[in-house]
Amino acid sequence: MAPLVRIEGLKKSFGDVDVLKGVDFTVDKGEVVSIIGPSGSGKTTMLRCVNLLERPTGGRIEVDGRVLCEEQLDGSMRFAGKGKIREAREHVGMVFQRFNLFPHMTALQNVVEAPMAVKGTSRSEAEATAHDLLESVGLGHKADAYPLQLSGGQQQRVAIARALAMQPALMLFDEVTSAVDPELAGEILLVMKRLAEGGMTMLVVTHEMGFAAEVGDRVLFIDHGEIVEQGRAREVLSRPQHPRTAAFLKAVLERAPMEEEDEPARAPGEIERLQREEFKRTQLQIEGEVGHEEG
Amino acid sequence: MDWDLVWESLPLIWKGAGATISLFAWSLLFGTLGALALALMRLSSVKALRWFAAFFGWLFRGVPLLILLFYAFFALPEFRIGPIDGIFLPAFRAAVLGLSLWTAAYQAETIRSGLLAVDPGQEEAAVALGMTRRHYMRRIIIPQGVRIMIPPYMNLAMTLLKQTSLATLVTVPEMTLLTQRIFSNNFQFVEPIFALAMLYLAMTTALLAVQQVMERAFRLRV
Amino acid sequence: MTLDWGVVSRSWHLLMEGTRLTLGLFAAAILLATVVGLLLAVMKLSPIAPFRWLSTGYVWVFRGTPVLVTLFFAFFVLGRELGLSPFWSGVLGLGVDGGAYKAEIIRAGILAVDPGQEEASMALGMTKRHYMRRIIIPQAIRVIVPTYMSNAILLLKATSVAVGIGLVELTGITRQLSNSTFQPIELFTAAAVIYLALTTALVIAQEVLERRFVLKI
Repeated sequence: MAPLVRIEGLKKSFGDVDVLKGVDFTVDKGEVVSIIGPSGSGKTTMLRCVNLLERPTGGRIEVDGRVLCEEQLDGSMRFAGKGKIREAREHVGMVFQRFNLFPHMTALQNVVEAPMAVKGTSRSEAEATAHDLLESVGLGHKADAYPLQLSGGQQQRVAIARALAMQPALMLFDEVTSAVDPELAGEILLVMKRLAEGGMTMLVVTHEMGFAAEVGDRVLFIDHGEIVEQGRAREVLSRPQHPRTAAFLKAVLERAPMEEEDEPARAPGEIERLQREEFKRTQLQIEGEVGHEEG
Repeated sequence: MDWDLVWESLPLIWKGAGATISLFAWSLLFGTLGALALALMRLSSVKALRWFAAFFGWLFRGVPLLILLFYAFFALPEFRIGPIDGIFLPAFRAAVLGLSLWTAAYQAETIRSGLLAVDPGQEEAAVALGMTRRHYMRRIIIPQGVRIMIPPYMNLAMTLLKQTSLATLVTVPEMTLLTQRIFSNNFQFVEPIFALAMLYLAMTTALLAVQQVMERAFRLRV
Repeated sequence: MTLDWGVVSRSWHLLMEGTRLTLGLFAAAILLATVVGLLLAVMKLSPIAPFRWLSTGYVWVFRGTPVLVTLFFAFFVLGRELGLSPFWSGVLGLGVDGGAYKAEIIRAGILAVDPGQEEASMALGMTKRHYMRRIIIPQAIRVIVPTYMSNAILLLKATSVAVGIGLVELTGITRQLSNSTFQPIELFTAAAVIYLALTTALVIAQEVLERRFVLKI
């Protein structure tokens, strides 16, 4: 059987910073693959390439039989058409570190929006499914709450339900417990565990080694934009073959900071973009408060 | 200050309130429509449209409104190309033209930056769910952007209301022109000017109240 | 349509004289506005309630009335009482009006600093005087300066309103020339180009400052 995800020679650079330097891996149907590695290693970028939220600068990505992008012989990239990419995204659910729930919609509205808009599901059917999904993540009673009324852990579980409502063949999880309080991480991990037991194919960027060992079938250790080691979860985590993997796991276990080289966690262009965005927001707010001179 | 004179001036100046308010309302309407078109062009994928909108903004935000008004009133009648033998606009329409161009240029920027100020994570989440751009702009980005836009939009509206006073220099008989008539007749300056200021202050304060109502109506429900 | 651009070069020295007056008005008015604005901002953030009320009232009145009306007041009322020249009446009107906006910009800039900064400073035992000067204001500056600049562009354009009290700055001289030569298209286009050059220079200055203050922190 062909793998669900096939990544070959994946490269991504921001300006002259190479974040991914040629990554190969596959994910089979029903597999749970954890991606671990120090911050700034490129693991989030890699995940975001799978549904083309990040546009690779080299390599080939195939998801569920659809080729999303392919490097040509002359080194240029050829991307699938807009419609095809969007169609692929329907089958790939994603959960973000910062939830990204739609703040002006209730939990239920967040979950039904995409099935109704994208798949043309009827409202009654979408709402029935949404109620079931919210129930399954333990939030049946919060269907009418707005995101701001929910805790981080609850918001993240709504976000998982929202992604599941599209009945995806693959789920991407991007450090989904990093932005919530540690005592709330457990409820999110539990939902993910049940999902894995139900046979969902999952690609999980995580710092939770316990989850990777218990739920994950395989582990990829990525560092400096390369896959340093991969294999069965328990084997890699308990008997790492590569010294860098061993050092990383030791540091995580001891909760000591890894000795990292002077590699920025964000590319410089990214930092400038974030600063500009924040700045523009502040300016707009001030304009709203200050008002305008005439002229 | 002679309070009786203030009191007597008020109704005389108020006769110009109709002109002031309709200058404001028409210019806000046309200007907002223009601003929407410009903001769409600015966010479009067609380069020529983006350039045009950027050029329009640079031009009409770089020149004082008064120059626009004088251009519309004094220069357009001299405009002769081919079959066009001068464009004669009555003072009121010339003023609305100038004020609308001004509003369009400034409000376009408000709309554009309001949409850009929506958390980029919102677009990512929508894209990851497979929504079309058309759909998520309408359902996710614009509803949140509108909320961000209200204060700067209403501030510009307030500025526009004040700017209508410049129409006096192209002879539109609005409140400021009527005030000038009063004090050039009786040479009593303080009282009519004070009365005029009070009327403007009442109008702009009413707009501030409208802004608060709008902000409350569009507030995030929690 | 036959345009005679010669009229622009023939009246160039007059246009330049008007431009000089525009720039003079602008420079003096922005100075006055800054002084007024700083004073109002300090009052607005003061613990003494009447100071805060005074500042709020001032901003409400001058934001709520057209600058032309303020200029009328400065020229016809104060100018006569105090014997001010039209130029200084113009500076007074523009500066007093602009001060209200400057005050709000300064205040908003200070309030835009993350409140956690103040808490952290207090937790470290710093005095208010110390952390305002060393922690809050340096961070506020990077918000204030670019906004200040875009506001300056508006003030530059607002100097044209001084036509309403008979000052012959760039807009005024252009209107006079246009009335006497009957060539409004050429002359107003020339004035527009001069204004565009001035405002574009300010826009560029704004972007340079933005880069310096926003991105190099």
